[in-house]
Amino acid sequence: MSKNTHETDVAFIEALAKLLRENDLTELEVNREYGEDDSLNVRVSRAAPPAVMAAPAPVVTQAAAPAPVAASATADAPEDPAAHPGAVTSPMVGTVYMQAEPGAPAFISVGAQVKEGDTLLIVEAMKTMNHIPAPRAGTVKRILVEDGAPVEYGAPLVILE
Amino acid sequence: MWPEGYGRRVLREVDSTNAEAARIAGDLAGPEWILGLRQTSGRGRRGRAWVMPEGNFAATLVMRPAEAPPVVALRSFVASLALGDALAAIGGTEAGLALKWPNDVLLNGGKVAGILLEGGAGHLCIGIGVNLISAPEAGQVEAGAVRPVSVLEELGVRVTPEAFLDRLAEAYAAREQAFVTYGFVPIREAWLARAARLGEVITARTAREETVGTFETVDAAGNLVIKTPEGPRAIAAADVYF
Repeated sequence: MSKNTHETDVAFIEALAKLLRENDLTELEVNREYGEDDSLNVRVSRAAPPAVMAAPAPVVTQAAAPAPVAASATADAPEDPAAHPGAVTSPMVGTVYMQAEPGAPAFISVGAQVKEGDTLLIVEAMKTMNHIPAPRAGTVKRILVEDGAPVEYGAPLVILE
Repeated sequence: MWPEGYGRRVLREVDSTNAEAARIAGDLAGPEWILGLRQTSGRGRRGRAWVMPEGNFAATLVMRPAEAPPVVALRSFVASLALGDALAAIGGTEAGLALKWPNDVLLNGGKVAGILLEGGAGHLCIGIGVNLISAPEAGQVEAGAVRPVSVLEELGVRVTPEAFLDRLAEAYAAREQAFVTYGFVPIREAWLARAARLGEVITARTAREETVGTFETVDAAGNLVIKTPEGPRAIAAADVYF
């Protein structure tokens, strides 16, 4: 019951936040009465400081400020390799191998030219050796992982330019 | 009966069935089994040699799965289950069969087969080798590895590679159908029912670390879950030692 109410509230607040953006408003306030002792008061605003609120507090902040958050994320994060436009990320959790087998030459090195579809490295999980292909032709600018290292889903592996 | 929708190719000789599978993967009309009666450079995981005297089984199923890589990788379990099914059908019993995470098939505690899955640009090769008539001597495999055994010695049954392929293809198609229709749930359950050393202490080793603890389960993502004094650990890639 409370979960459903929570989800309804979240959906409502998200809808308000969307309304705010689409109509280029800076602030929107709504009071809703649900019977005698249940009400929801929401104010969403786009100016900084972002949001104020009533009912489920943490959600309002999240729902009210998507635009500024997105903008600052790009501005603040040029150092994050995952955000680099040339980043090739890991499609799965696993272990990285830089060569086809121990003793073989590495698939790539910094400065190497690759064609689309060339294997950059292998990520192994569940004994499945996943050859990670170059998504496009380019030059290997950085290699962000080491042979034998564990990687998480979405972790940047290589930067291609 | 040969499963509908699967191709079947038998080669007298091939370098490696996985290598051949990768070469044809771009032009596939549907999933296809490639059987090599002789393999001149068969290989195991991370370049380990795979010795294959004639009469043993080496085949690869090549397909173009639609799922994301973490789901595609769960075919390690689909393949090992199907291989267990095929061996049970040939031996007429489930007794003595067990699975070791994620895809080793054990017969009377020995290693009877090896599975090598390789994924590339939109395709998956599932290479399966089975010691049908002979197994390498214990001294030929690396220290600490499971003792190699053969179907002939353990089950007392002589089966040709072609006949084994028919059994395996049928068993695989049935498990694949369940996987595609219902997801990992039925595969995981069936796999756990045959799991070796469940609830016992095992060792999971990677190039960088070793985890020792109680083998609790395999989770919904296929990870090996080991209970250690520091808490449970979910492991996606490692070699398991008993």
